[in-house]
Amino acid sequence: MIPTQFDYVAPTTLAEAVSLLAEHKDDAKILAGGHSLIPAMKLRLAQPQLLIDIGRIKDLSYVREEAGHLRIGAMTTHYELESSARVREICPLLSACAGSIGDVQVRNRGTIGGSLAHADPAADWPAAILALDAELVATSASGERTIKATDFFVDMLTTALAPGEILREIRVPLAQTHASQAYFKLPHPASGFAVVGVAVNLTRQNGACSAIGVGITGVAVKAYRATGVEQSLNGQTLDEQTIGAAALHAADGVEINADLFASADYRRHLAQVYTRRAIMAAAK
Amino acid sequence: MKLEGTHELRAPRERVFAALLDREVLMRCIPGCERLEQTGEHTFAATLRAGVGAIKGVFQGNVRLEDIRAPDHYRIVVDGKGQPGFLKGTGDLDLTERDGLTVIKYTGDAQVGGTIAGVGQRMIQGAAKMMAAQFFTALEAEAQAAHEEQPPPQHNFFRLALRWLSGRLRRIFNRQA
Repeated sequence: MIPTQFDYVAPTTLAEAVSLLAEHKDDAKILAGGHSLIPAMKLRLAQPQLLIDIGRIKDLSYVREEAGHLRIGAMTTHYELESSARVREICPLLSACAGSIGDVQVRNRGTIGGSLAHADPAADWPAAILALDAELVATSASGERTIKATDFFVDMLTTALAPGEILREIRVPLAQTHASQAYFKLPHPASGFAVVGVAVNLTRQNGACSAIGVGITGVAVKAYRATGVEQSLNGQTLDEQTIGAAALHAADGVEINADLFASADYRRHLAQVYTRRAIMAAAK
Repeated sequence: MKLEGTHELRAPRERVFAALLDREVLMRCIPGCERLEQTGEHTFAATLRAGVGAIKGVFQGNVRLEDIRAPDHYRIVVDGKGQPGFLKGTGDLDLTERDGLTVIKYTGDAQVGGTIAGVGQRMIQGAAKMMAAQFFTALEAEAQAAHEEQPPPQHNFFRLALRWLSGRLRRIFNRQA
């Protein structure tokens, strides 16, 4: 439980952090909340030479409404999102998702940016970010770029972030957030990670579904949009039968994880059941 | 832990099989392979820096190829250990030809123990599949490259250049995909 030797720097500006990262590349890791990285280092599963702590950088932790978007700083903790009354009002999916992460100690230190950049296949945020069609803003020495949530998750623990890039902000479009939303998950009893987690962002017009985003985590090597479910609900009147039938597509076209806790068949079943329940809850 | 999967490679089966027995090619294709020394006719000593994302570990081990039936089958027996844990496993590779493609089917059984199995159990299978996909993508590029080095004589320079370029592009694309 003792990490290998490493160096530590705590820059106070984002520009400094970016140039340190450009200099040290793969030898360095960005330290955000540290609730995935530090345990991995203690087990010596991760052995970075240098930790760049971005916790001292001002203005990376905020939630702002601007130009039809909710802009969330990467260092905003899960707890800050969970406890914000304004977030609960305008984007309840974010509050629900934040509140379901780990335990209160984890939520008090862990950050949304850290979790997304780590891209654990069973983390909660990716499901919500996908369902909400969010965009992620990455900064590097050569400037800034915006990555769509659907392009961000590349593979297990692998994101579209280039080696010199730091995730700076998450932008959630608010146009659809009058929508009804829900996050349903079956947490692993020991770790709290999602065995299956389903985020739903639903917009209705005259009682029918006019747009829906369904993000699913825990099932595959990375979180994904359940496009099969979305397509079979678009334009449909939402009743128990339609939702039940659509939910059967929850794991279509995905290679399903299996581990000691849940076999692939059990996970597929859970994905269907939790998708049905989450959409039912959102449609209420 | 059972592992199985199928990969389609756009390269002739003989070339793919030859690549699968070539130490240099294997070393380039196995993700994170830092050393692969031939210790016998079909045995190797290997150093592997394996992992995904920030999670990485160095493994030392031995690899033995058995039951070699060119060009359609061999068995690979791996035994390794490192700081993150240990790994023992066997895998059968079957190569078949279909519409000019080589279809590789692999089935294996692996035992993983130590730290990595204790805390990373839920990710091991996914990581193994990810590494298998990386391996076969690289192998396909190698088999195609070997194929392109000996072009039939009727190709003129431009066609060769075009082929080389499209091969490169495909490889770059495959790597990113």
